[in-house]
Amino acid sequence: MKRREFMVLGGTAALLASSGTAWSAGKWPSKPGVVISAYPPGGTSDIITRLVADVLTAKFGQQFVVENHAGAAGALAGGKLARAAADGYTIMVSGSAPIAANKVVQKNLAYDPQVDFTPITIVAESPALLTASASAPAKSLQELIAYAKANPGKVNIGNPGAGTKGHIAAAIIGQLAGVEINHIPYKGSPPLLTDLLGGHIHFALDAPSNYLPHVRDSKIRGLAVTSLKRTSELPDVPTVAEQGFKDYDQTLWFGAVGPKGMPAEIVNAIQGAIKEWTDMPATKEKLTSLGLTAVANTPDQMRVSIQKEIESIRPLVDAGLVQPT
Amino acid sequence: MDIFNGLMLGFSTATTFGNFLYCFLGVLLGTAVGVLPGLGPIATISMLLPFTFGLPVDTALIMLAGIFYGSQYGGSTTAILMNLPGEASSVVTTLDGHEMAKQGKAGRALAAAAIGSFFAGTVGTLFIAIAAPLLAGLALTFGPAEYFSLIVLGLITSMVLASGSLLTALGMALFGMMLGMIGTDVNSGAARFTFGTPNLLDGLDFVVVATGVFGLGEVLANLENERSRSAGIAQVSSLFPTREDWKRMAAPILRGTGIGVLLGVLPGAGVLLASFSAYALEKKVSRHSAEFGKGAIEGVAAPEAANNAAAQTCFIPMLTLGLPGTATMALMIGALVVQGVQPGPEILTQQPALFWGLVVSMWLGNLMLLFLNLPLVGVWAKLISVPYHYLFPMICVFVAIGVYSINNSVFDVYMMALFGVLGYFFKKVGAEPAPLILAMILGPMAEEYLRRALLISHGDASVFFTSPLSLGTLIVAALLLLSIISPRFRKVREEGLQEVD
Repeated sequence: MKRREFMVLGGTAALLASSGTAWSAGKWPSKPGVVISAYPPGGTSDIITRLVADVLTAKFGQQFVVENHAGAAGALAGGKLARAAADGYTIMVSGSAPIAANKVVQKNLAYDPQVDFTPITIVAESPALLTASASAPAKSLQELIAYAKANPGKVNIGNPGAGTKGHIAAAIIGQLAGVEINHIPYKGSPPLLTDLLGGHIHFALDAPSNYLPHVRDSKIRGLAVTSLKRTSELPDVPTVAEQGFKDYDQTLWFGAVGPKGMPAEIVNAIQGAIKEWTDMPATKEKLTSLGLTAVANTPDQMRVSIQKEIESIRPLVDAGLVQPT
Repeated sequence: MDIFNGLMLGFSTATTFGNFLYCFLGVLLGTAVGVLPGLGPIATISMLLPFTFGLPVDTALIMLAGIFYGSQYGGSTTAILMNLPGEASSVVTTLDGHEMAKQGKAGRALAAAAIGSFFAGTVGTLFIAIAAPLLAGLALTFGPAEYFSLIVLGLITSMVLASGSLLTALGMALFGMMLGMIGTDVNSGAARFTFGTPNLLDGLDFVVVATGVFGLGEVLANLENERSRSAGIAQVSSLFPTREDWKRMAAPILRGTGIGVLLGVLPGAGVLLASFSAYALEKKVSRHSAEFGKGAIEGVAAPEAANNAAAQTCFIPMLTLGLPGTATMALMIGALVVQGVQPGPEILTQQPALFWGLVVSMWLGNLMLLFLNLPLVGVWAKLISVPYHYLFPMICVFVAIGVYSINNSVFDVYMMALFGVLGYFFKKVGAEPAPLILAMILGPMAEEYLRRALLISHGDASVFFTSPLSLGTLIVAALLLLSIISPRFRKVREEGLQEVD
């Protein structure tokens, strides 16, 4: 009896072990897949990752599981993806940092996003939101700049990771206003929001989703949105451009990428599924409530966006305005 | 949400068929691994973690929690009947528990342990229901400096409590911190201690290390005495405590519960400190102190109540601050994060069903354990006599599957084997692995908070002393360190920890 039990157990083990290696033959997807989330659970990037995983699961009838690999502004997750097999069973959904900015911001990046990734689609985009804690020494962007001028080197602005759009958008404001800003990187949005609510840090520049309910409850103050126009979710919050920075326009995006050399038909199948989903009115509504707008562009359009993003950041890095701390 | 509504929600969550079943499975498994020496909750939870990924998050957490507090019950059975601690936290139970068994009072000792544990479990869960929302409200006052100080306190506590010399414990903690630093730097993305292999860029998975050290290492260590393992199991007679027993154990259970509830919340202390402190206190205040070590029922009831109370309340900092005070709690955080739930002050508002469901399930689980452990004690006694040559190969297969399935990485299995050997070596040289594991988990967190606190303060380290909360925590940590230098406390610590060996 014992012996037979043991043999069954051994057989199960062998089966489990063999399921880890890729079965390349047959129709994709023939087994569960993984969607890497580059930030901790609960942040905007993670919310979108989970929505996409659900879409793929529903569309293709195989479970797509979300794995969080937060850290180093998404570089941990990016490295993981770069080393994964390009069989369509591992993709990543993330903000632009690990897909673009890290290439120029992080000197020691273990991969090159333009070489080691296959773009799939940009899922959604949104402006970034500059917020202040209840006890912050400034109630508007102008006051923030004035405070920074009066107290050089004293203004801390939190961001969800070095090289994220929040970091870059804040660096550009600092450059345009000619003030020194200390950028404080966090491991994603949830811990940054917690510190902002507790008043441990006074300013944050980040994707809006997590902050919206707290701004509406007046627990924190929305100082500015980084888009050219105000957003429908926070009509009372002025744009950065309105507050003396003409033409200032920074948009952050969340995209899906696979490892280098992913088969084109799988890329197109995933892109198609996401496009189909974003075209649904219910999806648009859901994304709007999170402060996001659906994009679902083509892989080639995403490739161009990545290139543009990198080129726009390079001068900031060269000028020493954006660097990991 | 007030406590009453919360508990109602908790009851409706915990009593769904699936959750109830998994709660039962958890406590059953917990009792089993508690009973078996050489297999503890850390190794078990590590092994089962990947298998919970497919369960709903509340179900997964309810089961894993059940394993943890269930093992507190099971551990005392082995301690009383065989004079072997099934769990580290039941070492003190062997002192008087097994003496009672030798005097033919095994049943009454088991009853004292189970009743004490149940009472403490009930108070512990109630304490979570009241204190966790309060602490979650307070959590916003914890900034990077406060978190850093709290972590320092946790690390120092675990070092002071480790058996063996403080220097060894310090070495283990430093080694653990180094292991925790392996991988990609969180801010700059630079690779650290990776020796050029991409396998290490993500850092060491602490489940791999914990399974190796606690699972495989324990198996190896137990192989040594397999031949000499005595199968002498005491007979269980009447399970009913006498009127005299009740009178003698009521106050110790209350005191043990109080100590356990408070010490469980302290990061780094874990359940071991609670049971030791409770035993030491009883020995001091009891009118029967001469009987201690010769079969005093107080010496069974108090530490068992304390370790179970602590096993419940150590969930509080994990859930509300996201700060794991013990390795087991770090595993729980892992289980939550995998499912997309970030423990922290928001958990009560964002996942009320999860939180209250867990609290209620803990109470239900304790009730199940009372019945599992008293009437069925004979079954568990039989489990102790399962030959290890069947059990150990099975454990080895399960840890290998478990570790492999976390990342589908063969490299992880080799790493686990390496840490298994290391775990055996630690055992041989008498170095306790608890500070190593805790430092491996808390080290990277400490680094993150230290760097952030200093960035926000522009490099001014005085922030750690100007915040009253941070200063208070650091003072407690310093006092703990100083206390070990004082010869009087050192004597007490050495005596206390010697009784373990």
